[in-house]
Amino acid sequence: MSAATTDTANPRKPYVRPISKTSWFLTSARYKSYMVHEVSSIFVALYMIQLVAGLFYLAAGPEEWESYLAFLRSPVVILLTLVGLVFFVIHTTSWFKAVPQATRIMRGEEVLPGKILVTAHYGIWAAVSLFVIILAWVA
Amino acid sequence: MTATRTIQLEVLRYRPEQDAKPFFQTYAVPVEDEWVVLDALNYVKDELDRTLSYRWSCHMFVCGSCGMMINGEPKLACKAFMQDYPSGKIRVEPLSNFPIERDLVIVQDDFVEKLTAVKPYLLPKQDKTVEQGEYLQTPAELKKYKQYSLCINCLCCYAACPQYGLEPSFIGPAALTLAHRYNTDSRDAGPEARGDLVAAHEGVWACSFVGACSQVCPKDVDPAGAIQQAKLYSALNFVTGMVKGDK
Amino acid sequence: MRVETADIIIVGAGGAGLRAAIAVAEADPNVSIALVSKVYPMRSHTCAAEGGAAGVIKSNDKLDYHFDDTVAGGDWLTDQDAVELFVNEIPKELTQMEHWGCPWSREGDGHVAVRPFGGMKIMRTWYASDKTGFHMLHTLFQTSLKYPSIKRFDEFFTTDLLVEDGRCGGITAIEMRTGQLRTFRGKAVIVCSGGAGRVFPFTTNGAIKTGDGMAMAYRAGVPLKDMEFVQYHPTGLPGTGILLTEGCRGEGGYLLNKDGYRYLQDYGLGPATEKPVLKAMELGPRDRLSQAFWHEEKKGRTIPTKWGSVIHLDMRHLGEKLINERLPLVRDLSRNYVNADPVTDLVPVRPVVHYMMGGISTDINGATTVDGLYAAGECACVSINGANRLGSNSLGELLVFGARAARHAVEYVKTARPMTDAAATAQASDVENRIAALYKRTSGKERVPALRQQMTMSMEEGCGIYRDEVSLKATCDVVAEVRARFKDVALEDKSYVYNTDLFQTLELGCMIEVAQALVVSAIERKESRGAHQRLDYVQRDDVNYLKHSMAYYNPNGDPRIDYLDVVITKSQPAERVYGAAAGGQVTA
Repeated sequence: MSAATTDTANPRKPYVRPISKTSWFLTSARYKSYMVHEVSSIFVALYMIQLVAGLFYLAAGPEEWESYLAFLRSPVVILLTLVGLVFFVIHTTSWFKAVPQATRIMRGEEVLPGKILVTAHYGIWAAVSLFVIILAWVA
Repeated sequence: MTATRTIQLEVLRYRPEQDAKPFFQTYAVPVEDEWVVLDALNYVKDELDRTLSYRWSCHMFVCGSCGMMINGEPKLACKAFMQDYPSGKIRVEPLSNFPIERDLVIVQDDFVEKLTAVKPYLLPKQDKTVEQGEYLQTPAELKKYKQYSLCINCLCCYAACPQYGLEPSFIGPAALTLAHRYNTDSRDAGPEARGDLVAAHEGVWACSFVGACSQVCPKDVDPAGAIQQAKLYSALNFVTGMVKGDK
Repeated sequence: MRVETADIIIVGAGGAGLRAAIAVAEADPNVSIALVSKVYPMRSHTCAAEGGAAGVIKSNDKLDYHFDDTVAGGDWLTDQDAVELFVNEIPKELTQMEHWGCPWSREGDGHVAVRPFGGMKIMRTWYASDKTGFHMLHTLFQTSLKYPSIKRFDEFFTTDLLVEDGRCGGITAIEMRTGQLRTFRGKAVIVCSGGAGRVFPFTTNGAIKTGDGMAMAYRAGVPLKDMEFVQYHPTGLPGTGILLTEGCRGEGGYLLNKDGYRYLQDYGLGPATEKPVLKAMELGPRDRLSQAFWHEEKKGRTIPTKWGSVIHLDMRHLGEKLINERLPLVRDLSRNYVNADPVTDLVPVRPVVHYMMGGISTDINGATTVDGLYAAGECACVSINGANRLGSNSLGELLVFGARAARHAVEYVKTARPMTDAAATAQASDVENRIAALYKRTSGKERVPALRQQMTMSMEEGCGIYRDEVSLKATCDVVAEVRARFKDVALEDKSYVYNTDLFQTLELGCMIEVAQALVVSAIERKESRGAHQRLDYVQRDDVNYLKHSMAYYNPNGDPRIDYLDVVITKSQPAERVYGAAAGGQVTA
């Protein structure tokens, strides 16, 4: 081999570790849970489609609306809706959890504690839900 | 002084002049309870194998030299305590997502280039000479960005970020956080003056908010938070720009 | 061999090196700069400085007060022209740092806040919580990215200075990731390579602080000045030597012996008051505090641990809010390393080697006895620190003298004659041959870690807080023996890519030279002054030793020690006064 101090040959050969484009998320528990979380949003999307479809049926007339309601009452759809609800709650809570990271509000000399922000979000969520339930009750 | 126990330290070795690819080498290291993983590496270097290469200096989690994967997690070797590894087996690898120069030494040119590109220095809102004294900044204004100025550039966040691994053009957590640090400094002229690299495709919008960067950050800098705030700013800016009819 | 050229070459990219580089770039953007460092700039040890940087800014303060504190703190071994200039320039430098974005801690109205520090009569230490050096380093590094004339050579290990006819014309440095030696040709070289705390076994200093630049200049014929003055920081963590800032005491922390007694009151620093009083008790100077520990240990009033004797740092009365705001790193380090939360627990500490007052002898412009060779920062000795540096004067020093050396060098290179090609080539090939020989040597029996340990342990034993002729001679013999055996070291790693065995070997070579200059200077100074305390010569001796020690390199034996007069302008040597007699104010 050449002496250390001549630059006839560059001995560098950096090694790049391969990363799989399709299975990278299997390499750590953190990535797996992230992917499960992301994939589960499909159920949230399904529920959204179902909700939007309801609007179309409503617009199409009473008979169509009734058939839509019948569809909702089928056990498979109820199950899917429940699953959707569970993931809705999970995504909502994880979204709320991220709020203090994404917004930084100063109160005097201090950053407003994340807990207050998160609690406020839950409070608003509860209030809106209550309002909707009351509305449904009255209607 | 007698060692309290002996651990198996598995180290990913790669000597470019003789190895085609990396391999694990295991060292039996007598350790003290108070030790950190860096102390174990120093033991290997001094007593067992002079050919092992790694970076380190301060041993007090501030210089950022000794970031490495320890049992798969990006950590500072000087902040990975033996007592947290009771199993007696510790696996040490160079930081993920970076090319390996040699053993635990990674190539970090890419980070330095990206850091330079985001203009991580104050662009004063108002010019002032030294004779005119300091810019005033209230404790509240300081606190607004202080956390983001604590980054030691150890690159643990890049090693944790799957986005950076998959898409190396992504500017990445630390550099974006430092841009945000200046953008939110009350003395600074802000994002417009700093240019639109942060809001570009390879900037904050390449982040999918896995959040791993903040979980592994040894200084609690919360790069994920900084990036989400920058996204919010960039989005609002886009909307107000549309309303004003800028473009 | 590949040759790089620049007008000014800066060795070391810590606080002083970065400040120098920016100063050159601002003075003249057409002057090209090569900033050469064995680590990436942000890894430099400036990052570990915690407490702050002293500079007169408040209305109750005066430049003269800072001058007096510094001169007396240095036991009158300071050059007073240098101190005067230093205290004048530092407020501007610190304001400049503010303009570059340094996140200084603030008062409610937005002005920069100051905290009390040891040996300072007035609160004047600017701080950025307890990460001042870290923030200064990163501010300087990030700011340096603005200037296109600064070309960085990160992870290049400088081995030698190129000198011809008393004129410096460049350096040789190994590119660490290829192992290739390169020549850097320039008209001026500024050495900003930091201190050499690693010549001792227990130190707050990082692994990189091996005195490379000091040794380089020393071998090139520049004297090392006042090397016997080694600062022990009173509050390092046992075992690791990790620094807990003087700010802990500035904010009101107590030092307690095994009986829970604030023992400093027994050493002329009292009375013990509840609130901290400037220049008294825990806010005394570092040399006095470390010496008091030594006496407590002798009296059996310290606490024995597996990592040596300790005393306790008590911050419990400061409260969680203050600790989190002003001492967050201290809390993080204590909890992690000694499992003690300063909010609720006593933290064990002991004195550890922290800073070299001595270094490459320079004038007030950073210039050395070799034309075109400058030094600044801890590796240099301008003589503002004398026999004992006051806490929070070193961060200021690297700014003031980094910038001064740079500006002077910019003027110098306008008319400087370059080194001849023949001389540069010949010297570079000598270095090349020396390193090639190290690679080829196979017969060596000596191991770097063993030699290093033997030498550093001996330094602690014989050249510590207190010394005498016998202990120093013993250490001197060990260093000489290690120096001889070092010639028999062979590399165990013969590769070229990032060969840390090679760099540790070269570093040990530097440490040995620095240690020898240090211990021989200590033997020759037969008095006690500041951080140099002799059990066999307990008095300060202004008749014979109000002088700087100058150690000159000798390749074949002990260095030659000469002396240089101290510059005294307006403060005649007197007693150093601390405690009640110092008349310091209560801080809070």
